[in-house]
Amino acid sequence: MEKRLIKKDALTGIIGKIAADTTVYAPVKVEDNVLFKVLEKGDEPLVTLANTKNAPKNFFFPRTEVMLRYTRTTKGMEFSGGEKEAAEAVIFGVRPCDARSFVLLDMLFDQEKYKDPYYIDKRQKTTIVSLACAHPPYATCFCTSVDGQPVSSAGADILLVDLGDQYLAEFITAKGEKLLKYFGDAKADAAADQKKEAIAAQAEKEIKVQIPAKAIKPILDVNFEHPFWDTIYQKCLACGTCTFLCPTCHCFDISDEMKDGDGRRLRNWDSCMFPMFTRETSGHNPRTSQKERWRQRAMHKFKYYVDNFNAIACVGCGRCVMYCPVNIDIRKIVEDISKL
Amino acid sequence: MQNPYIPYPVELIKIVTEVDTKDIKTFRFAFVNKEDAEKYKYIPGQFGELSIFGKGESPIGIASSPTQPGYVEFTVQKAGVVTSALHEMEEGTRMGLRGPLGNSWPIEFLEGKNIVIVGGGFAFTTLRSLINYMIYGDNRKRFGKITVVYGARNPGLLIYKEELEAWAQRDDIDLNVTVDKGDSTWKGREGFVPTVCREVAPSSENAVTVICGPPIMIRFTLPVFFDLGFSKENIITSLEMRMKCGIGKCGRCNVGSKYVCKDGPVFSLAELDKLTKEY
Repeated sequence: MEKRLIKKDALTGIIGKIAADTTVYAPVKVEDNVLFKVLEKGDEPLVTLANTKNAPKNFFFPRTEVMLRYTRTTKGMEFSGGEKEAAEAVIFGVRPCDARSFVLLDMLFDQEKYKDPYYIDKRQKTTIVSLACAHPPYATCFCTSVDGQPVSSAGADILLVDLGDQYLAEFITAKGEKLLKYFGDAKADAAADQKKEAIAAQAEKEIKVQIPAKAIKPILDVNFEHPFWDTIYQKCLACGTCTFLCPTCHCFDISDEMKDGDGRRLRNWDSCMFPMFTRETSGHNPRTSQKERWRQRAMHKFKYYVDNFNAIACVGCGRCVMYCPVNIDIRKIVEDISKL
Repeated sequence: MQNPYIPYPVELIKIVTEVDTKDIKTFRFAFVNKEDAEKYKYIPGQFGELSIFGKGESPIGIASSPTQPGYVEFTVQKAGVVTSALHEMEEGTRMGLRGPLGNSWPIEFLEGKNIVIVGGGFAFTTLRSLINYMIYGDNRKRFGKITVVYGARNPGLLIYKEELEAWAQRDDIDLNVTVDKGDSTWKGREGFVPTVCREVAPSSENAVTVICGPPIMIRFTLPVFFDLGFSKENIITSLEMRMKCGIGKCGRCNVGSKYVCKDGPVFSLAELDKLTKEY
């Protein structure tokens, strides 16, 4: 693996140079939020951010996406082609939890039998530059409970680690190595590796929250009908914030819209928290209340995904904990399930 | 990479109004591009997404049999946005069709066995596909005795009436058509499907039953088959859930960790017992 050392104050310049040649998305302060944004000349990417409010899943799985277009003709509607191909892009500053979400989403969208061309096209053309958490930024971080690490290259093409006075850049994939030329020629030595290991060990220790997320699958296997499910949903407003901010939530709706003779079919994020999500034309709804919907959310993340892909569909980013308007805490739910 | 979300262009070539209430019709589609017909290789029990641009898509079981080349048929009840638009359509209209999707009736498992088909109402569609497949030419030899129990609320609601008459003429199907309540012209059998199943009493010896119908019918029919000695492995049915993508991605049709669209819609009762009861 190629490794480079870069001076701390050189990083912004390197990102700027990449942005001059290709589209770069980087965390930028937008009013009170830190969001990923196309880096334009003069924009200052945040290199010391905690994390963005939105998960970066929207780069491969946009909130709204055109699947195909059609036009009205005398013979009825004529289908007139799918969405144009994605452009090459670089996402800078993805935290390891979010980078790992791509690995989890790949399992679903890039399955052997049914491949999702919209997701795969964008995923393949995008290079992920991940920024390790030398100091996990939030009290709500729990990546180590769900197979993640604050210093980890899972899902990243390039991993940047803050060594204090400089960054260690590890070029994980061939896609990452294509950007090697921007990073200078100061090769990393064994001392840098050792320093990285020490930082990684320290970062892991700084994550104070440990939840038994990996232990609850056998409990969920046999407790679909447990009265516990009656206790967690009452205060849920069904607002869907948790699912929209979640880096691994991938449920979507497909809808058509037409104006004059032209129309398009769109896919939009949807949420298992919404009553209409499973309501059938007949009026029958297999998930009749928020109880069933919350059970679905918990089961999907900690049991169904494990059944299907042998991985928990949670990266421990803590967004759902931070932004739930009624303070429903997935960590507490996991903790409680472990005691059933 | 074949884009599974892009429908094949099809032309509506024939519409048959199946019932007196006129809200159930069979739509026959031909592929606009001949090579698409080759790609659309299906097995009875699978479904397709009927795709009406500007309205949306609706997942519907395939009612024709692969032994009927050149077209695909769907029997559709007028219910929501897409199916209502479909019911307004005229022959010659072009629209889209995705699929074939889902697993299918377990043809290999059924081979060499006696088959008992039980259908209620217009859920008979994929069963009709299976029957037509089994009785077609040499296919018939691959299956044992075929018993069919099919019921509707009244004679006007029976679908595929011409085919029912044709099947009745054959000596290699034991066809039992019933209505809950007949009218002045009805000469056939009266009675609910579970009752008729009990009267017909097909042997469970080397037999599999394939059941499709409204939940209430299934609920009362299952005990009959348990009494006749059918094991849960030999009782097969098909589930319905709200669907969008049809390929296990959009996340709404799961029952436990199985997606009805791609792991189903066909399950044996033994398989359903292992899933949660959320459907």
